[in-house]
Amino acid sequence: MISVFFQYDFLMYAMFTGIMVGFLAPFLGVFLVVRRMSLIADALSHVTLTGIAFSLLLGRHFSLFQGLNPLYLGAGFSVGASLLIERLRNVYTYYKELAIPIILSAGIGLGVVFISLADGFTNDLFSYLFGSVVTITQSDFRLIAAITLFVSGFIILFYKELFFLSFDEEQAIISGMPKRFIQWMFIIIVALVIAASMRVVGILLVSSLMTIPVASAMRLAKGFKQTFIYAVIFGEISVIVGLVASFHLNLAPGGTIVMIAVLILLITLFFTRGRHT
Amino acid sequence: MEWLESLTFIQRGVIAGVVIGFVSPILGAFLLVRRITIISEALSHITLTGIAAGIFMSQAIAFVSFLNPLYMGFLFSLIGSLLIEKLRQWYKHFEELAIPIILSTGVGLSAILMSASGSATTEWYNYLFGSIITVSLADLSFIIITALLAIAIMSFMYKEFLVISFDQEFASVSGVPVKRMNILFSVLIALVISMAMKVVGILLVGAMITLPVAASIQIAKSFRQILLLGIVFGQVSMIGGIISSYYLNVATGGMVVVVSILLLMLAMGIKKLQHA
Repeated sequence: MISVFFQYDFLMYAMFTGIMVGFLAPFLGVFLVVRRMSLIADALSHVTLTGIAFSLLLGRHFSLFQGLNPLYLGAGFSVGASLLIERLRNVYTYYKELAIPIILSAGIGLGVVFISLADGFTNDLFSYLFGSVVTITQSDFRLIAAITLFVSGFIILFYKELFFLSFDEEQAIISGMPKRFIQWMFIIIVALVIAASMRVVGILLVSSLMTIPVASAMRLAKGFKQTFIYAVIFGEISVIVGLVASFHLNLAPGGTIVMIAVLILLITLFFTRGRHT
Repeated sequence: MEWLESLTFIQRGVIAGVVIGFVSPILGAFLLVRRITIISEALSHITLTGIAAGIFMSQAIAFVSFLNPLYMGFLFSLIGSLLIEKLRQWYKHFEELAIPIILSTGVGLSAILMSASGSATTEWYNYLFGSIITVSLADLSFIIITALLAIAIMSFMYKEFLVISFDQEFASVSGVPVKRMNILFSVLIALVISMAMKVVGILLVGAMITLPVAASIQIAKSFRQILLLGIVFGQVSMIGGIISSYYLNVATGGMVVVVSILLLMLAMGIKKLQHA
């Protein structure tokens, strides 16, 4: 069943990017969930769609943008949106949680306008929304590999700082940590990982891969390190099984990947009944 | 109800839009003060699952084919809102996880059902991003009936909802049946979302619920003003969006959201001037 993935180039790219994404997304997801920012991933992924739609629109009118991989503008937009979220949190001092739904809906709304201006309501859009196994190109693969290297490098270098900031922000600031710098880098990395994962799982499902394996891991793990290990294992299982299943059953890969993650979550919830995480 | 039948498709769309622009900001105001605006995103995504399931079933089983998929959507979003409550209890220290879990499950399942049903992708775009010209007579009566139901619930329970929204403990001490009210509130959210989705689309229902109140809270000085201004902003963005989308030939849901973002920016500007 799996051997077919090593016979064709495009399937091999899909498998390798899937494995990278299955590692990256849950790994970063642990930090997101612990910092209570799991919803930010949803908002940013929707804004990534806006960027991609904008890039498609530009490609229609300016030949300069035609060769550009839409992922670049997608990542750019989602970094911009993360800055806006911070701004909005200051505007709504008493209702800070409003920032996320505002950015999320603004992203989708603008995205829809761009898509319809570009006449983009086609099958292509569907693969952006829900992922696809067949559309991953060599250039996507290279881009995602670069992102994986960069993100892993950053996390290894700044693991202590990230850990510290997640659990005791005040202490971290007092002890002279460059909070701003780490915060910025963290947000940029989230935006990059969303752009990377989007090709395989689709925009609407990127955030799922960042939160659901972590949600299952948290039910089982007995420490921070264990949470990482479980989350990555669950993430990889979901991606690999999901990709193979979606190819053979001819379903959208994002859907099968996420449903396998949900299945794992249900099993862990069943075995840890009565425990309150 | 006879006059309904004589309407042209564009009139049906506009009436549906006006009704939605009236009801969703009211719900939004309650969600805002309860600090759970994000719940509308999760439930709208699970409504999509219901609709996908409805369409999938109607293809597979002839006996359900007469059923409007909107009913299935309503049912799923109701189940979703009850599940969120349950998940909040399981993840006591990470309550906010309940929303992304339900949201992801909703989208994941819908993606599978959509690709399994084999319908053309363009049909799904209507549900995802809304379409004003595909509002059928049956859809319009569904919208009007659910809107009337929602308005009835909100006006009968206005006081109870208000007390619960601001102070749950005080409410339960003063004899409001909090648990039953919360279930009724979940029904209300599910009603409004399944009502709005045909015109603005699943991905944009949340926008219709949050953006007008996000704008009105910038200016309003009381809960009643939030409600009134929210309705005004909702109507302006609905009608403005419908008209501009017609002339610009752009998807309606998108234009509605763009107009309400402009209103939000305007409201922020007014607030800044007041403080300067």
